[in-house]
Amino acid sequence: MNEKGHIDAQWRAEFDAAAARPLEQRLDYAFVTTYKPVLDDAPYRSFDTMEEYRAWCNEELPSWLGYGTD
Amino acid sequence: MAPISGRQLTELRDALARHGVRYLFIGKSAALLHGFPDTTQDADIFVHKTPANGRALVGGLRELGFDLSADQAAEIERGKDFVQLKSGPFDVDLVFAPDGIERFEDAWNRGEDVSGFPVCSMDDVIASKRSANRAKDRETLPRLEAFRQYLRERGGEAKRLPKLPPDQEGDETRPAR
Repeated sequence: MNEKGHIDAQWRAEFDAAAARPLEQRLDYAFVTTYKPVLDDAPYRSFDTMEEYRAWCNEELPSWLGYGTD
Repeated sequence: MAPISGRQLTELRDALARHGVRYLFIGKSAALLHGFPDTTQDADIFVHKTPANGRALVGGLRELGFDLSADQAAEIERGKDFVQLKSGPFDVDLVFAPDGIERFEDAWNRGEDVSGFPVCSMDDVIASKRSANRAKDRETLPRLEAFRQYLRERGGEAKRLPKLPPDQEGDETRPAR
């Protein structure tokens, strides 16, 4: 979307195509398998605060995963 | 690691409904339900942070086959801010205090019923990602904002969620933070 609020033509085409699909088909397309190192290597993690979670992401995850806030 | 499928997303919705869990889909999975064309591998749900709702959530997750220890169940019932579950038939993130959203009740009132799925509004999905400010969120935000604009241009009446049911018996709502 540009500064005037116009939607990029390619994105609009993608939105139109998605809107033409029934929900079941959209969901079939939506979920994929992507192994994420560290993140996917424990069956359970919990954090008392979101700040703790963000700090853990910054410190423990590879930066290329995109979970960092730095 | 077990990516969720469309069928399992429906099973998650139905199990949580049977247990009376108060929650909303949030994040990328919420955007996908709104029709945003993209991919993900897990479901993120924003859970109302009350003890009774936490107990209901644990019941629903166990029914779905999540292997939760007593300690893990206690943490979920207590409502830690963020719990990542990869011990079941699919991956799900439990978010009790999402960035950028103050109160569950407000998000519920802004939320939508998308084919029976309780879903955060696109405004809240965007607010949450903007507040989280992760690199991957910063990359996705322009396209999400364009999609929100697209939905506005298309018009149509969003199907609102029913009034939030009263708290479970003996329950006490906790602040998100």
